[in-house]
Amino acid sequence: MAEMWINMGPQHPMTHGLWNLRIKVDGETIIDAEPEVGYLHRGIEKLCEGKTYTQIIPIADRLCYGASLSWSHLYCVAVEDLLGLEVLPRAEYIRVAALEMQRIASHLMWLAAYAADLGAMIGFIYSMRDREVFIDLLQALSGSRITYNFPRFGGVAHDIPPNFERDSLRACDYMEKRLKEYEDLYEGSKVFMLRNEGVGLLKKEDAMNLGVTGPSLRASGVRYDLRKDMPYSVYQELDFEPATHKDGDCYARFKVRMDEMYESCKIIRQAVTKMPKGKWRTLAPRNAPEGTGLGRVEDPRGEGVMYVVGDGTDRPYRLKIRSPIFVTVSAAPKMLIGYKIADVVAIMGGLDMCIGESDR
Amino acid sequence: MAERGKSTGRPEEGLERAPSRIGEDPEERVIRALLDGFPNTVTDFKKLRKGVLRAKIERRELYKACKLLKDSLGFEHLSMISAVEYDSRFELVYHIVSYQERLLLELVTTTPKDDPSVDSISSIWGGANWQERESYDLMGIKFNNHPKLERILLPKDYVYHPLRKDFKG
Amino acid sequence: MNLFEFCYGIIHWLVDLVNHLWYWLGDHLPWVFGDFFNWAGDLAVSHGNIALFAILAEAVIMFVIALVNVLNFIWIDRKWMGRMFDFYGPYYVGYRIGGWLQNLADGIKLFVKEIITPAKVDKLGFLIAPVILVSSSVLALSTIPFSPRFGVFTSDLDTGVPAGLLIAFAFFAIAPFSILIAGWSSNNKYTLIGGMRSAAQMMSYEIPLLLCVASVFLLSGSFGFLGVVNAQHDIWFVIPLFLGFIVFITCLAAEVEIQPFDLPEAEAELVEGWTTEYGGFRFGLFMMTSYLRGYVGGALATALFLGGWQGPSIIPDEFWFLIKAYLVFLIIEWMRWSNMRIRVDQILNIGWKRLMPLAMLNLLIAAAFKTMGWF
Repeated sequence: MAEMWINMGPQHPMTHGLWNLRIKVDGETIIDAEPEVGYLHRGIEKLCEGKTYTQIIPIADRLCYGASLSWSHLYCVAVEDLLGLEVLPRAEYIRVAALEMQRIASHLMWLAAYAADLGAMIGFIYSMRDREVFIDLLQALSGSRITYNFPRFGGVAHDIPPNFERDSLRACDYMEKRLKEYEDLYEGSKVFMLRNEGVGLLKKEDAMNLGVTGPSLRASGVRYDLRKDMPYSVYQELDFEPATHKDGDCYARFKVRMDEMYESCKIIRQAVTKMPKGKWRTLAPRNAPEGTGLGRVEDPRGEGVMYVVGDGTDRPYRLKIRSPIFVTVSAAPKMLIGYKIADVVAIMGGLDMCIGESDR
Repeated sequence: MAERGKSTGRPEEGLERAPSRIGEDPEERVIRALLDGFPNTVTDFKKLRKGVLRAKIERRELYKACKLLKDSLGFEHLSMISAVEYDSRFELVYHIVSYQERLLLELVTTTPKDDPSVDSISSIWGGANWQERESYDLMGIKFNNHPKLERILLPKDYVYHPLRKDFKG
Repeated sequence: MNLFEFCYGIIHWLVDLVNHLWYWLGDHLPWVFGDFFNWAGDLAVSHGNIALFAILAEAVIMFVIALVNVLNFIWIDRKWMGRMFDFYGPYYVGYRIGGWLQNLADGIKLFVKEIITPAKVDKLGFLIAPVILVSSSVLALSTIPFSPRFGVFTSDLDTGVPAGLLIAFAFFAIAPFSILIAGWSSNNKYTLIGGMRSAAQMMSYEIPLLLCVASVFLLSGSFGFLGVVNAQHDIWFVIPLFLGFIVFITCLAAEVEIQPFDLPEAEAELVEGWTTEYGGFRFGLFMMTSYLRGYVGGALATALFLGGWQGPSIIPDEFWFLIKAYLVFLIIEWMRWSNMRIRVDQILNIGWKRLMPLAMLNLLIAAAFKTMGWF
């Protein structure tokens, strides 16, 4: 059969989010690929130049609606760097606990979509049901289920509700049991291993060169996790290990994310039990000094960076956002060429794409 | 099971690195290598906090400096390329990360307002490709020798560059 | 009394009823027309004519039974999936009977949708493909009797219609042809790829399927339904030919395009595969045919391996046949919802490299049994 260009998207049941993947196929094999993003561009960077610093916190939530707490936290870290503000210790621990819950919820949503695409509708239902446990906890903490508007400069918006510690520990116990079940369910399925092993190989050098970060990088063998290697917040005092895998295929990315959920449970336990007493909210100056601020966090999807330029007023002069998915998607052709059309689902699903942050 | 190794080990070995003096910490080494390689064009070093360095460079030396950073100083990862517009100039801020040394270098270049162009570093780091296209798209900065400098987030036939200060939406 | 005699009797009674009026009319009209009336009336009561209409009535009855069974299958499919996934399944429509009317609701919805024929399709191919698919599946259905006395395709021979099973499989295997036509004529890259994949998958799974059937023929010594089922009066063939049963079920799942083999029409990959351009009732026909072929396959598996209509006589034979066919269907459904989709080249791998050797092994086992004289 002749070679032809196929458009997967922008209207397609599989592609999570609104983007287009043009692949050139020869029969069933992919020989070239070209992702096209930009269908969801909302002009957030320009929008932020007209709003005050506090007004941008909910907007930062909506950058990636799958892991929104980590984006508003990233924004607060960047602005605190600009202002030179110290964060209150109790607030740091609350932030860490909430962030790790958000990480588990985000990974569960990834797992749900991934399993559903591969054909196991059961995976979708189980993962979404377990995600509810953590979304409920975050709702008790902040009042919303998906976009929280929770961190503030120098602290957090509210204190933890009563029984939060007991409920979080119960949730972690429940999650670890369920993770064992998931391992049995997925790794015991020969079909799942057939679809994932050896598919979408990304070598170490390519991963580092192309700017891939986060679980996809760790799945290719590079043991770099921002929470451990350039720590922010109170991650230095917490005891956990970043998960890596040396293969670099889809199964490795799956495994890294599952292991990350284990580690997040450990972190939540420590954060919730070690929380110091004290204030959780403070006043921040209204006008930012002239200068720049840099925030860099480990988003569930990779390395998120924000660069804020202040000019002495109460609105930022420039806010630049680095989205991990934007760069990882540009590395997608490397992972796609040479595989079959049916592998597109496994490979692109394994990258955990959230187009909201990619297009901003 | 995935390896749960200790993360104090170095993630990557075996790159050719510039020789270091005894007892010198990695940031000093980077500053020294840059000053040696580009005596007059790299200026204004500042240590922002632990592991974060800032430097200014002239735009004609950018490509060579990036090549030096990647090849012999072990900066494997280009994190972000930001474009900021001031009254009289454009500033391009490159955040380059070394996985081994756990360093972040913030490299700043300026271009004049009427000629916002700079060399593309996408042949050094593939991750720069889309980021440069985005800066071109939203801010209008041209990158020389870029393999495919097209608009990426906005429609292909759009005329304006929205992030500029004179675009009032 | 078998089905044919039952229908014959009913049609004969009906024709007699009409003929009373007819002959009376003929008697009271001018003599020139009277002859015509008598001739027509005699023709109507003649054996050949009534037999023809009896066969048509039989066919209608079998078709209606098959459709009701297909509705049941769809309901079981969705309820079983629901219970396996820990939710309810169809619930509200037909609340008191467990949501069975949901199928009718879906059917009505599909029926009233606008039928669109895209402009640039190849008209003949586009319109013919569903017709071929549905008609060949229904023809395969018509060859299957529920019991010696309940079936369209019967004969007085001891072994039933001489090549009954062969004809059934021949009709069953026309499907890849129609799918290719459907995929190609839709003038769409997705459907072309989906159609080719589908046809490749179906054609490569025909071979292990027919090898298993061949092993059954070896043991039973005849090609007709009655012969095969009667040869199982001592022991059902599923016990000596257990391997063959497993291979048959797997190949059946691949023929009917059920997960784990449903990549060609999987939503996540290619929208709907080769049925993308078909909308409204045409799409409903394709879906119904998929379950119909599942039913046909289950009935064939019952006849070949599970002893057909044999069973204790507390329930009539036909119900035993249906119960066993449902059992086969349940096994396939269980496999369906426990597994993920396999990629097409892996499906072809499994078909050629794993199932075909197993089917040949099964044939050897059958030959061994035959030479040892146990059958």
